[in-house]
Amino acid sequence: MRKSFPADDLARDERFNRVSQAERVQDPRLGGSGTSSRAKLTPALRSAPDRARSLMHGIFTGEIQALEGAGRTCFDFEIGAGEGEVPFELKLDMARQCWDEARHCEISVMLADHMGTELGEFTENTLLYEAACNTDPVLRLTGVNRALEGLAIDVFTTMKDFGTIAGDPVLEFCEDWMLADEVTHVKMGSDWLRNLTAGDRDRLDRALEFQRVVDKLFSFNGLRGEDDESPIQLTRRFREMAGFTDEEIDDIAELSREAAAS
Amino acid sequence: MTDPSRPRAPFAPWDRRELPGIFDVDETARRVGHYKWIETKLFEALGGWVATVPELDIKLRLGTHCYHHAWHAELMHKRLPELREMKPDRLTVPPNDEMVAFVDALTQPEAAELTLEKLVGVYRVLIPHKIAAYTYHRNNTSRITDAPTIRSLDFMLQDEFDDWRDGEMLIQSLIETPEDVDRAAHRQAELEKLLLAAGGIAGPGTIGDPYATSGE
Repeated sequence: MRKSFPADDLARDERFNRVSQAERVQDPRLGGSGTSSRAKLTPALRSAPDRARSLMHGIFTGEIQALEGAGRTCFDFEIGAGEGEVPFELKLDMARQCWDEARHCEISVMLADHMGTELGEFTENTLLYEAACNTDPVLRLTGVNRALEGLAIDVFTTMKDFGTIAGDPVLEFCEDWMLADEVTHVKMGSDWLRNLTAGDRDRLDRALEFQRVVDKLFSFNGLRGEDDESPIQLTRRFREMAGFTDEEIDDIAELSREAAAS
Repeated sequence: MTDPSRPRAPFAPWDRRELPGIFDVDETARRVGHYKWIETKLFEALGGWVATVPELDIKLRLGTHCYHHAWHAELMHKRLPELREMKPDRLTVPPNDEMVAFVDALTQPEAAELTLEKLVGVYRVLIPHKIAAYTYHRNNTSRITDAPTIRSLDFMLQDEFDDWRDGEMLIQSLIETPEDVDRAAHRQAELEKLLLAAGGIAGPGTIGDPYATSGE
């Protein structure tokens, strides 16, 4: 088996439909690129059922890629203290994340079914896994565990709130449990970022810049924000628990505002 | 009411544990180091394979099992300093080059069409050998002096049995034709021969020598 496994080769059965991110957001069921998809997800919206089901399907495919990414981090790097090597304990954390992501796949596929969605009804793109292909383990951890798992905190909070408003205790319950795992994963990323870059300011800066690039890529043109009406809520409290500083959270909020304005 | 000042034996009448065991501290540390090495290689491979396997149920089980074996590696890693090995990496090694050849062959399949070969290697070859090695160890080490190793091996064996059953059922679900049976058997034989050459996951003597007799 090769070290580093390209996104194009990710193994899927025939139900999965892989498309680009641009094609994905043009799905007419979600209001296309029009204004309706910019509205906060509430049960009162006409597009709410399709949007909620699409979001759950997106969570499911995202969880598969998160599982694959964590698994590859277990395999791709040798144990050691050199460049391109990782501590044994980091691999243990990634293996734990594999288990968590596998459970999230199980939860989200059951929730998708609960919401009336079939596997493959919506599309998949591999953007998330691509962030997990960086050959520098520090950049990979920062891009995946801080940027993407941080996004998962925001998405799960949004979905949990939707479950609360919609009166769906199953959705609310499951999202809350997954949210707890995601905070753990982001904290792992924060802890390892500081551990592995201790005394290496240049590597820390490169990692944070990579995180910024991934955060920007996943800001969804400003859909994520702190306003009550933001379709995806930037969740300050959970990010603080996961090792983000106020300044770092401010920075992500600013990125989203810039993306919305552009 | 019992009299609290009345003497009692240190071992209750039903406690039949005995003091002697066949492994000394150094031999135990050597074996534990080999166990950590193979558990690490296994969890790395299972993690790596997740992306290469198209069958959704198998993909998810590999992710779960990946953590089980990482936890086993962690248990063994933590045991080594308790066995006077303050640099656990020194003993985290394969028993011999033949074991390295076995792991290389085990982890070689990558293509999406080779799920059967991947699973047979893990669930019909490696895990049964681990069950044998851990059982031999727990049954032969001192139940009193080496109780911490036994406790860890018992947790590990529980996972190994559960994962073996999961894996065997997945293998059976993949086998649909007589040709598939041959494929699985061929793969198993290929890897068994390599593991035979290694002498087991801890090298020769992994499960003792049944032909040895006392005094010879």
